[in-house]
Amino acid sequence: MFFLHNITFTHWIKVFESGNLWPPLKKSLTVATLTMLISLFLVVPASYAISRLGKKAKYFFVLSLFFTRMFPHVGIALPISVTFLKWDLLDTNIGLVMAHLISQLPFMTWILVSTFEAIPIELEESAAIDGASRLRTLKNVVLPVAIQGIAVAAMYVWLNSWNEFTYALYLSLSTKTMPLQIYYYVQRGGFFQQAAYSTILAIPVICITFILQRYLKSGYLGGSVKG
Amino acid sequence: MRRILKGTVVLGFVGVLLIGLLTGCGSGDNNETKTKEQKSGAVKEQPSKQEQKSLRVTMALSEEEWEVMKKYIITPFEKENSVKVEAIQVEAGDVVKKLEAMRQAGKMEIDLIAQDVNNIAPLVSKGLVEDLSEFTNTIPNEAIESLVNAGKFEDATYFLPYRPNVEINFYNEVKFNEYGLTPPKTWDELLNVAKTLKEKEGIGRLALKMKLTGNVIEPVEFIRQAGGDPLVLNDEGSIKAYTFLQELWPYLSEDSLKAGFSSTNSFLANESVYYAPNWPFGVNIIVKDGGKKEIKAYSGFSGPVKAAKTLGGEVIGVPVGSPNKELALKFTQYLMSKEVQQILVIKLG
Repeated sequence: MFFLHNITFTHWIKVFESGNLWPPLKKSLTVATLTMLISLFLVVPASYAISRLGKKAKYFFVLSLFFTRMFPHVGIALPISVTFLKWDLLDTNIGLVMAHLISQLPFMTWILVSTFEAIPIELEESAAIDGASRLRTLKNVVLPVAIQGIAVAAMYVWLNSWNEFTYALYLSLSTKTMPLQIYYYVQRGGFFQQAAYSTILAIPVICITFILQRYLKSGYLGGSVKG
Repeated sequence: MRRILKGTVVLGFVGVLLIGLLTGCGSGDNNETKTKEQKSGAVKEQPSKQEQKSLRVTMALSEEEWEVMKKYIITPFEKENSVKVEAIQVEAGDVVKKLEAMRQAGKMEIDLIAQDVNNIAPLVSKGLVEDLSEFTNTIPNEAIESLVNAGKFEDATYFLPYRPNVEINFYNEVKFNEYGLTPPKTWDELLNVAKTLKEKEGIGRLALKMKLTGNVIEPVEFIRQAGGDPLVLNDEGSIKAYTFLQELWPYLSEDSLKAGFSSTNSFLANESVYYAPNWPFGVNIIVKDGGKKEIKAYSGFSGPVKAAKTLGGEVIGVPVGSPNKELALKFTQYLMSKEVQQILVIKLG
């Protein structure tokens, strides 16, 4: 076993000085954050609209979302990557963001449709009676109540994008993401670099979880509607 | 007042998002713009620096190997030929995936590949590499014949020889001394070492790479050592090899089923196994990086008929549709040269 014989920062210094850390870290942070923001921008209104549809229409939408998740990544990654390569999206952040959105949009929609469904329609009706417009109701009543579901969905999407490997492998050549960089050290590197890079990979995950977990409180709907 | 402040915060946040979005759309360099300009013919005369040709090469090397490659091999070539060589780390298995996608997209972005000799067949069968038969006259006479032949498929040469490699056998000297063992030179001695280690420790401490997912390098060595042909499989030598492996199996470490070229280094370094064959790059990781000076290496054991080792290493291929084929071939010749081969042997062993 590796017993700790002495404390040294040599390996960490080596990792920081190698020049192999910052570009993948920057790329992974940019791609994961953009994927999360674009997903939120598109999915929050879409999920709300789906949740307020009739039972049959809602079932149809949710089922079609399941359908998009039926294909394994490895099976569809090649044809999708070929299309993106044709569009000159190799080594670009936007190419990777678009690839990640393919799987993350339906994933986030599932979570948020359930979140919005749980909000009683009576709450919106009460707001309307009080004179609030549709948009104001959404902004001041529905979204604040749904914030914990939105936070959970955002967190999952960010983490999924941060850890994504298959599309990154196809769509990256000169600039790598963090999972690809760790893959390199697992394949070719020493144990200490593996440990250092794995720790670095975990730090943003801890940060994002810490930031978003304060929204994960129960009781938002407590007493909102009379029984 | 509070409303204005809130509005300003929201506006600022949206602004930051937009800037992030625009930044995210960037590609990191101006190659894209340059290519578009070149395609449209808009740029005819540029300063010499922008006209500098660029060569994209993929290789699979460790950090120490990259250091030598960049400093002693690539930089002199760049200076001598006024070109830029962009060497990229891509594992052998991933080269197939990348080339397949690029070929299907009609956009080959890689000019040259230095590929593991045990991973070249899929590239040929999928038609991803150029036939280099007309360039076989550039192969130096000193090149190892087996490596030259490894690049041939049905009389056509698709790969040129570059860097030979062969597995060595690692053992833990301290543990071997403790149990009065010496590195095995024959099958009988190998069996004895495996038995002794299991007897003393209660679990198998001798590992072979016996993953049942296609890694056949070591089983093939046993077959050849017994005089068999791995492509026949039911000949006398193969039967002898598998009979011996059956006898050896109960004494092997359980790590044998998951041992790969990377995990074997860990098994040796954290002392979950005391004996295992692996590629020489493991020396850097186990001894230099891990500080495990008690891990020694030797050439391995012989079978009942002969000593046999599978030839590994790398060969060079040019992807179909390579944008800089001429320069790629020039770099290939340089990599095969005595000068480069000497550097590789002296600096990397």
